[in-house]
Amino acid sequence: MELLALVLRNQKARPVRSLLTVLGILVATASMVLFLSFGEGLRQALASEMTKFGPEIRVVAEGTGVFGVPNPELDQGVLDTLRAHAGELGIARLFPAVVMMKGSGFDPATTFLFYGLPEGVTPKDLAPAARLVAGRLDPHPDGAVVGKQKAEQNRLTLGKTLRLSRQAEVPVVGIVDAGNGLADSFIFVPMKLLQRVLHTDQYSVILVYVAPGHKVDEVAARIRALVPGVDAQTTTEAIKYAERAIKIGDVIRFGISLIALIVGGLLVANTVMMSVYERIREFGVMRAIGARRGFIFRLVLLEALLLALAGGAVGVAAGYLGSWVVNLYTTQAVGLALSAVTPRLVLFSLAVALALGLSAGLLPARVASRISVVEALGRL
Amino acid sequence: MSGGGDRVLRARNLTKRYRQGEVWIDALKGFTYDFPPGVTAVVGPSGSGKTTLLNLLAGFDRPTAGEVFLAGHPLHALGEDERAGVRLTSAGFVFQSWNLLPTLSALENVAFPLLLKGIPRRERNERARALLAEVGLEHRSTHYPNQLSGGEQQRVAIARALALDPLVLFADEPTGNLDSAAGERVLELLLAQARGNRRVVLVTHDLEIAARAHRVLRLKDGRLVEIQGDDPT
Repeated sequence: MELLALVLRNQKARPVRSLLTVLGILVATASMVLFLSFGEGLRQALASEMTKFGPEIRVVAEGTGVFGVPNPELDQGVLDTLRAHAGELGIARLFPAVVMMKGSGFDPATTFLFYGLPEGVTPKDLAPAARLVAGRLDPHPDGAVVGKQKAEQNRLTLGKTLRLSRQAEVPVVGIVDAGNGLADSFIFVPMKLLQRVLHTDQYSVILVYVAPGHKVDEVAARIRALVPGVDAQTTTEAIKYAERAIKIGDVIRFGISLIALIVGGLLVANTVMMSVYERIREFGVMRAIGARRGFIFRLVLLEALLLALAGGAVGVAAGYLGSWVVNLYTTQAVGLALSAVTPRLVLFSLAVALALGLSAGLLPARVASRISVVEALGRL
Repeated sequence: MSGGGDRVLRARNLTKRYRQGEVWIDALKGFTYDFPPGVTAVVGPSGSGKTTLLNLLAGFDRPTAGEVFLAGHPLHALGEDERAGVRLTSAGFVFQSWNLLPTLSALENVAFPLLLKGIPRRERNERARALLAEVGLEHRSTHYPNQLSGGEQQRVAIARALALDPLVLFADEPTGNLDSAAGERVLELLLAQARGNRRVVLVTHDLEIAARAHRVLRLKDGRLVEIQGDDPT
């Protein structure tokens, strides 16, 4: 405690330098928090997305990526088989759908994901939390129900015409709010219409609700065993798959922020080292009076730790702010808060800042504690 | 030459040799003396070994050969930290300049040795305040070194040197940077500290000042060449 008061006194005596060093750490920590917050945000968004989605299993042609847009490769036979064995498989309900993507796929504003639903199925069956904003919920017989996000992005209002191909056009008949979920970016149309556009009578996906009392994984395994050439993908699998990808991203992002961190660390080391050289006489006086080496060592190390921790704390706050700004943009653009500053990210960042201070302070602390009284006081 | 045999401050054949570039310098050659209680002045021309002697007596440095005891501790055989520990409890210092810690107030400077000793804040501040009063500076306790005159700084340094009631007080040209009035006040204060069993070692090149000590040791070329005064032996 006493030591801390001494350190604070010294920082106060050199306010500009202390402030600049804290700023350096701030930038390093804030950039790390922001970088890593994307991973955390993706995880959270994904988990909430998956739970917002109604059907627990999606049956697609083998080889389709978990997050891929499936091609219409499932024939009537697959649907019939699943329907016939629904009871023994543990399926409560199932329906086919056709999916079509138009546009680049990179820019959410110019990408259109059409979801063809069979008769009797509405967007509410896909996203149970969905709420009607305008018009009607059912796209049948010949309309399009647009997710709120998509509608706002492309200024789609009731009555506007959407062009699916040169021959096929549909008017917007409803706008639905799926609570900022993925379905908010979808355009729901009658399945038959989409099949016509794609010149097929097959299905892209069969969505399956698991009957109560059955385990999702087991039902998926039974489907895979029963129907050759299909894959039954579960929400948990999707999350696991995404988790792997996010982890790789985390490592890369941490690697990038490490550069900023190293620069920040060197900054602290430089400041503390300079302050040690400036105060050699001071340390000499302390040693002459009777301060042990450990006292001086702790004094200098604490100074580095304090600078790093102060910078780290403000850096986390700045990172939080940055993350908020990023989310402001991403919720508007893709309907997802992509960045999240979670408690574990805060703890991790503070720990990194502390480790930074510790490693930056060790050398100056050692130098200061080994100063000889005779040399420090110029008594040779 | 034995001052009491209690090894409060005793040097035996103390020698310091160091290298400066290509040359070896014998800064101190076989200094032997047992400091008796009272004020002992050490005089000699520049380069005679005064500062080296004080460095060794205070344990700032280790001798090349010989023995030195401070408060009964064999400084020549102790490591850095052990010597620091002996200094803390048994010695006080007043240097020519640069005595005080610039970021601490007068009171905090005086309390610093007490902090190193682990004495609780309340007691520390009480004792430091009393010491500042003793040197006539209680009204300056919250001032920082750069707000004090040279004489006041030296008086704060004396108060600090007395914080743990040491057996030995070392002063190296304590009035060197002061005008005569301030110097006189500091000197009187220092001389007054030679009470009881306490030794005051006063390094100076000013013979007038040295004349006011109980005895004077004269160094020349690293050797003790003369002892004047009331040497009890």
